[in-house]
Amino acid sequence: MIFFNRNLQRLFLGALFLTFFLPSGAFCSTPDPTEQLKPFLEKLVAELKTDEFKQDTSCHQCKRIVDLASEHFDFYEMSRRVMGKQWRTLSTEQKDKFVSLFTKLLQYAYIGKVEDYVDKKIEFKGQRVKGKRAEVKTLLVDTDKTIPVSYIMLLKDDKWMAYDIVVENVSLVRNYMEQIRSILRSKKFPGLITQLEKKIKTLEEQKNKKHANAGQQASSVPSAESSETHKL
Amino acid sequence: MVSLRGLRIVLLSLLLLTAGWVLPAVSMAAPDQKTVDFLDDDFYENEPDIVDVGDPLESFNRAMFEFNDIAFTWVFNPVATGYSYVIPADIRGSVDNFFSNLQEPLRFINTLLQGRFSDSGAVLTRFVINTIGGVGGLGDPAGRGLGYPRIDATLGETLEVWGVHDGFYLVVPFFGPTTVRDFSGNLVEVYAMSAYYNWTDGWEETAAIYLFEKQNKLSLHLGEYEEMKQLSFDPYVAVRNGYFQHRKQKRDHSVRSYDN
Repeated sequence: MIFFNRNLQRLFLGALFLTFFLPSGAFCSTPDPTEQLKPFLEKLVAELKTDEFKQDTSCHQCKRIVDLASEHFDFYEMSRRVMGKQWRTLSTEQKDKFVSLFTKLLQYAYIGKVEDYVDKKIEFKGQRVKGKRAEVKTLLVDTDKTIPVSYIMLLKDDKWMAYDIVVENVSLVRNYMEQIRSILRSKKFPGLITQLEKKIKTLEEQKNKKHANAGQQASSVPSAESSETHKL
Repeated sequence: MVSLRGLRIVLLSLLLLTAGWVLPAVSMAAPDQKTVDFLDDDFYENEPDIVDVGDPLESFNRAMFEFNDIAFTWVFNPVATGYSYVIPADIRGSVDNFFSNLQEPLRFINTLLQGRFSDSGAVLTRFVINTIGGVGGLGDPAGRGLGYPRIDATLGETLEVWGVHDGFYLVVPFFGPTTVRDFSGNLVEVYAMSAYYNWTDGWEETAAIYLFEKQNKLSLHLGEYEEMKQLSFDPYVAVRNGYFQHRKQKRDHSVRSYDN
């Protein structure tokens, strides 16, 4: 087992070597996933750093962030994947309903995550391409911890679209998949929809409250201190 | 003192014995040794029992999960948060390094028992470099500059290599998600670690050290649990799944992960 893995590792290193040191244009024209993801993440984080977003009490800007995120995040693909085998058993309306709700949940999940990125550094730790799939490995570096985050992407018309995020080795899609399975087993599809709606409502309320607080602090306290409280 | 130790050993062997006896009967399937490839559709589509390990005690586990959640929210998290304000991050990192370094001899034995000999060498190297160059393990020069990252090797994994089944999923108060096998292994390791704490008067002090270690670790991971809970609609299932996913990756030694 161990020797097998060592060989695999060598093979992988060899492949990595080849991809780096051979002229890439010579035999394929696949765009580079890291090169697409890097400016995209930088743009997202920059957007979240603007005062406009920080002082946005009612989350008007959230829509803009979501639109921006949709550029390289395939929320439809994510929704389809979390359903697993069940996807094929759903009617078209059920699919639409689920995708729209789950997308909303993911967007809250993701905006919450990227907001954390603001005062951290993203390091790119290499990538792996396999046909139309790619994994871009990043490290989220903070003062007291480092979190590995991988983006799993699919090539669609020259654009790499992420359909899963793996945080500390835990796949987001896979994690939701199991929750959904357990809810479907006990409460069936309507129960799942109710639970999704409930979750989104609480997240919405929390978001609004958080932004209202941040807005108040930003207007009443000198800026140096407000950035401190924002971090906490 | 002696009787207490004896009692503990009896308790442990009993636990292990029951584990060995119950395990094959309850375990759903042999642990899936296939490595995880996120770029493979199988990973998403096949749904090969996402839970390799059964959860027959789900209602008990859910109650323990609630208990831990309350303990976390009202005791451990506030304490760790306060602690994180008072003690700077680099000192907390050093404390974490120190405890991790103390456990290197255990890891060394486990890597040997698992047949991971090159890892054994790396663990030993780490222990020597960090104990001497890192002032008793407070620093991690081996990991930072010399390319010897932390290596994970627990008795739970050793038992897995030796063919002991997981048994079932278990949520232990004050400890969290684990399985019967891994928790048994953990108890033995805690017992082995207590050799360091010979100077303590009784189990209370050892427990205090354990709590301090955990508290310090938590202060380095503040906010992660809440975020996870906030975003999932069944936190119990989310934690269970996260535990197994994380564990599987951690024990896949073909891929060097850079976390910890």
